[in-house]
Amino acid sequence: MTVNRASTRLVPGCILLITLLLVLLVKVPSGQAIPAFSRKYGTSCTTCHNNYPELNDFGLAFKKNGFKFPKDDETFVKQDAVLLGSKAQKEAFPEAVYPGEIPGTIPIAFRYEGNLVYSGAQPGAVIANGGFVPRTDLFVPNTFTIISAGSFGPNFSFWIDDDISAGATGAGGGLGDGWLKYNDLGHIFHLPLNALNVRFGQFELDLPFTNARTPYLSGYDILGEGALAQGLPCGGGVVVCGTTNNPFILGTPQRGIEFGGYPNNGNFVWSVAVVDGTNSAYGLGSALTARNSKDVYLHTSYQFNLERDPESRHAIQAAGATGPHDHTSLRVGAFYYHGTNQQNSGGTLFPGIAGTIEDPFYRVGAEVRFKYRSKFELYGVALHSHDDNHLVDLEAGTVTKTNAVTSTGGFVVGNYWIFPWLIADMRYDFVNSPSDFVNGVSEARTRNRFSPGYQILVRANIKVVGEYQRHWGVPYQNAAGSTLFYRPNTFVTGIDYVF
Amino acid sequence: MYTRLSSGKAIALSGALLLLAAASQAGDIKGKVSVQGIKSAEHIAVYVDAIPDKKFDPPAAKPVVDQTKMTFNPHVLVVQAGTTVEFLNNDPVGHNVYWPSISGNKKLAHNLGTWPKGEKKSFQFNDAGVAGLLCNVHPEMNAYIVVSPTPYFAVTDKNGNYEIKNVPAGKYTLKTWSEDGKVTTQAVEVGAGTVTADLTVKK
Repeated sequence: MTVNRASTRLVPGCILLITLLLVLLVKVPSGQAIPAFSRKYGTSCTTCHNNYPELNDFGLAFKKNGFKFPKDDETFVKQDAVLLGSKAQKEAFPEAVYPGEIPGTIPIAFRYEGNLVYSGAQPGAVIANGGFVPRTDLFVPNTFTIISAGSFGPNFSFWIDDDISAGATGAGGGLGDGWLKYNDLGHIFHLPLNALNVRFGQFELDLPFTNARTPYLSGYDILGEGALAQGLPCGGGVVVCGTTNNPFILGTPQRGIEFGGYPNNGNFVWSVAVVDGTNSAYGLGSALTARNSKDVYLHTSYQFNLERDPESRHAIQAAGATGPHDHTSLRVGAFYYHGTNQQNSGGTLFPGIAGTIEDPFYRVGAEVRFKYRSKFELYGVALHSHDDNHLVDLEAGTVTKTNAVTSTGGFVVGNYWIFPWLIADMRYDFVNSPSDFVNGVSEARTRNRFSPGYQILVRANIKVVGEYQRHWGVPYQNAAGSTLFYRPNTFVTGIDYVF
Repeated sequence: MYTRLSSGKAIALSGALLLLAAASQAGDIKGKVSVQGIKSAEHIAVYVDAIPDKKFDPPAAKPVVDQTKMTFNPHVLVVQAGTTVEFLNNDPVGHNVYWPSISGNKKLAHNLGTWPKGEKKSFQFNDAGVAGLLCNVHPEMNAYIVVSPTPYFAVTDKNGNYEIKNVPAGKYTLKTWSEDGKVTTQAVEVGAGTVTADLTVKK
């Protein structure tokens, strides 16, 4: 026992030591960081990121401009593109293929993330029920990602990212995004620059705050929330059950077509997407139900630029006494997703029930973000979920509409740049789901998670990231059959580099 | 008619004549800088170090450091102490110019801020030393201003060659500064004509 206690004390001590050593490695970043755009333009990651992968104002303008510099792009390119036809060939169109171009060098970048996890002690009953989690786990999850992105001439841009290894939070391996975008389609209709673009392929929805490319070690809880009717599912002796069993996850990339734009210097953002829905099985080869219907997603937001200097308000970054910085701004917006969860198409899920059961659902939310220069940001999302629900009686063979499955939640995030290379984070996630509560997911109806953290840019392309997650209470039963609760708190820290 | 000079005036006149004679004997210093352990001999500053009891008026000319295509141009600029340098933003993106110290003296750090394309900001460099120019949004941007205590200086070309013209005759200390190498000093005696001084800069 003495040995065990000693080792128990030793392990967190080692973790602290390793963390301290990692911190001691930190110097002021010298800057030569790197992926595809860094190589193309010969510039540092910090040109577009204050804390990668989060974009700063210049990075947002670069992205919105089809991965090109907002002004005089060609003069900044250090790697010339390969022309797929001369520019003069435009005149020969339609008798010839319209000229385009591809990047001069293959625009490939790589990212590795590996984390060390320290978990809180588990009650004996939890371990006895097969839920053993080692107190420490080195460099798991452990993810290697390939990213390719760029432009094909003035109008087309593209993005592909694929997690080669599996395991990172929110990434089960495989393709993340893979899309082609036609930028500034609106110029045909004499609309303002970038007022209308169209994107095809698989992409994360135009969410207020990205879940796929968040700088944090864990995804936003509300963007990973599914919907499950309370009570046991049908089968195994259960003959009356709710139908809502919607695996739809708002934060997961979808296949579809998106129209959108960002006129008025990017202050106004809008998008409309028609997508398959993450709960449509077609083409996925999963046990989900294939369906014909498509889902619709709408998002709009407006940014109030709070810079006092009128010239700065219209510049890509605001001018400051000590250099350019992000605009002090306030962005507010709203989004709406509508879809249908279809089940029992083949009549096998609910034997005896004829026909498809359709549960329409929607997600509606609002966003707010305040940013003070490149120093501080505070943002959050509130989201309400509503899934229609039916009561199936397998014996009676009836389907009747019943109370919807709803949940409400969101997150609030604060980031403070102590130095350009040292960022302190504080996050609060909450999800209020009565059905999850009844289904034994949490101690209370509202699941709260506090996640203070830090991000250290050892170099512009190397980060040490850490996050303590104070988890909500999770129920378990002890040997006597009483229901107790414990918090599976974790401390996660690790390395993240791109090149 | 003779005008009788006082002894003080005579000394001043003789001094002026000596200076004139020295000036008339001005020569050039030229040579080649070789490097050891350094990638290139280009952009190495070579200058005559401070001359005791000798001060120079600041020049009227204002050299320009240009910011174009996200680079400072030139990469190394040598100026005489007291020179006003103009910084031009020639890019459609926001830049700033700052230096965290001059030769390690952080009290001489300065930040010129941000200004739009086509405009200039100026700064007078009075303290001899080296200012490493940086841009706080484009950390790959870097250049140096070497503030020489004398008006006798040059920057090496890509082959390491340099030439300092019109140096008055005399004995001086020649000094180098390079981005990656140690400071090298070498005594040199200038007379009429050209004197050759080859130097080696080590990492």
